[in-house]
Amino acid sequence: MQPKITANARCVDGEVGSIAKIIVDPLSHEISHVVIRERGGQGVERQVPIDQIQAVPNEEEVLLQGSTDTFRQWPVLNRGDYVTIHEVEIAHLEDHLHVAPGEILVPYPRLEQAVPRRSFFANMTHAIGALIALPLVFPVLKYLMQPMYRPFDNTWFPVGNVRKVKKENIGYQFKYTRGFKEAFMPEQHIEKNIWVVKATPAVQQAIYGGKDRKFYDDKGNVVWVNKANATHIGFSGKCPHLGCGYKWRRTKNYPDGVFLCPCHLSIYDEAGKVLDGPAPRPLDVLPLQVNAVGDMKIIDVEYKAGVKNQIRLL
Amino acid sequence: MNGSSPHTPNEPNAFEKVVAFVDERVGLKTIQAKVLNEPVPGGSRWAYAFGSCLLFIFIMQVVTGILLMFYYVPSIDHAYMSTQYIIHEVDYGWFLLSYHFWGSSAMVVMVFAHMSQVFLWGAYKKPRELVWLVGLALFGLVMAFGFTGYLLPWDQRAYWATVVGVEIMDKTPIIGDFLARFLKGGPTPGQMTLSRFFVIHVMVLPAGLMGLAGLHIFLFRKAGPAGPFRGTPEQLKAKTDYFFPRQIWKDIVAMASVFLIICSLAFIEPVVLLEEATPDPGDYHPEPEWYFLFLFQMLRLKIFSGEFGQFLGAIAIPGAFLAFLAALPFLDRSPERDIFKRPLALIGWIVIMAGILLFTVSAILNREFLD
Repeated sequence: MQPKITANARCVDGEVGSIAKIIVDPLSHEISHVVIRERGGQGVERQVPIDQIQAVPNEEEVLLQGSTDTFRQWPVLNRGDYVTIHEVEIAHLEDHLHVAPGEILVPYPRLEQAVPRRSFFANMTHAIGALIALPLVFPVLKYLMQPMYRPFDNTWFPVGNVRKVKKENIGYQFKYTRGFKEAFMPEQHIEKNIWVVKATPAVQQAIYGGKDRKFYDDKGNVVWVNKANATHIGFSGKCPHLGCGYKWRRTKNYPDGVFLCPCHLSIYDEAGKVLDGPAPRPLDVLPLQVNAVGDMKIIDVEYKAGVKNQIRLL
Repeated sequence: MNGSSPHTPNEPNAFEKVVAFVDERVGLKTIQAKVLNEPVPGGSRWAYAFGSCLLFIFIMQVVTGILLMFYYVPSIDHAYMSTQYIIHEVDYGWFLLSYHFWGSSAMVVMVFAHMSQVFLWGAYKKPRELVWLVGLALFGLVMAFGFTGYLLPWDQRAYWATVVGVEIMDKTPIIGDFLARFLKGGPTPGQMTLSRFFVIHVMVLPAGLMGLAGLHIFLFRKAGPAGPFRGTPEQLKAKTDYFFPRQIWKDIVAMASVFLIICSLAFIEPVVLLEEATPDPGDYHPEPEWYFLFLFQMLRLKIFSGEFGQFLGAIAIPGAFLAFLAALPFLDRSPERDIFKRPLALIGWIVIMAGILLFTVSAILNREFLD
């Protein structure tokens, strides 16, 4: 039996007052005290520990231990020591609170009482919401994806004169500027670089394996063939590990010089072969043509970094 | 607020009338009371200030970020110039930009501190699993903020960190290629990349972070603070106080300290841009922001070489670690929260932190070897 707040409190020798408030322990969430307003005592409220309640004969009445004199020894409630549960945030307080005043009901509106298929309406609301959203998925996706896939650019760019490359099997960097047209932007001039190696037959063999290297456009047509016995090799400036720019360096372990990427320390020899470090494939050979006076041109082919096979991006 | 007596003998003045008018319609006083009167089991502590500090840093990033946008232009032919303009021409532009820059680092440091505190205190355990999960998502957003913001000045540092970062994402199975092209807005970095990073940095991520941070705090309040991992209920009760004033006092002191530190860093090390971004790195050795250095260094290891190794180091291991963190409250069901009675958790935390430290330091040492 649960007493009501407002239930009368009685001691063995008579009624002392009625419950006015209850006090809850903020940690255990259990009721720790009841506050009893004294009958005719000018509204004096005393806080009585919950274990003083001996019995609850009915909802309207609680029976306290001891006599009226014992009751009068309980301290008077100092309201300033407490806050109401509306002014404090204690997680799950209500879950543990055994003060149930009973269900508080409000009438269902009359118009609602005759609606038989509430779930149907709920489902329809979701369905119409989906009908608004779904037709947008494809256009939005296409909108965002528009610039993602572009045909390969097979333009030839001049990079410099081959006579600059004096020694064999050494990396020479050629910086060049290429035009780059992107969407609405005016054409940009961006700086890039390639590494050129004047290859001895052994290095040619190491790179081409005696076979001509073909380069293809999007449709699979051959756009250029690097001859297997071409003396000059153009390596893309992009490290096939994760796309950084590598350099030709002489180090303690490689006094003749190697290609070294400062990012993740991939090391390649003059044929582009991986000597050390995390790179998954050799340096990328570019389509390169040299004319009679030694001017070089390349197609700025870019491959995806970090994969074993060459996957062309640009 | 609770201590003040509500009844005054005099007529309310105009201001009190306005407050009363608003309160009647909004219920401000109840909301304020609810927000401030949250019992902190075992009492307020300095260790609980990290979350509040994160909120503070984020708000300051929003404020400084909005101010930077007054001058910044997200286009590849103006981004660099407009950033230089902010640094060199606009009054106090250097300070606001440097504050924003150091604020992002502070955010990452504070996220690590906050997560470590929650982990060591065992506060991710039942019933706070969802608070932890949403927190992990927020961690992801903070890292995404750092990554996308890094590109915006469009200098060499920005460009190359993005090139490598996107190449790493490209290694995600199945969606990697799509993801990388989606972020780059094409096969190679350019205007579309800058536009995308910009809109993600200033619109998408802030919206996501605000929503998730709101959810995080709501769930935290719903579950209640965990409190210390030691002490009987009686001991905790004896020390319990409300969020206001003692915890808020500690929070505001911590925030002020964070503010001063960020300001000092902005003064001592103001942002200096490198050359404008171009696909030719010149003499620049690409490197990510310091909080990604350990990952960067890890990828230099021989065991992470080749296509599979790279997938392992860049995607699989970090992914598995994050998945493990997400599963943690469901794997570790023991209610024991005392870190000194959870040896595995303590050792695990030390090993991870030491590992991150070791890789970061070795990445820094490697710089000298390269120069």
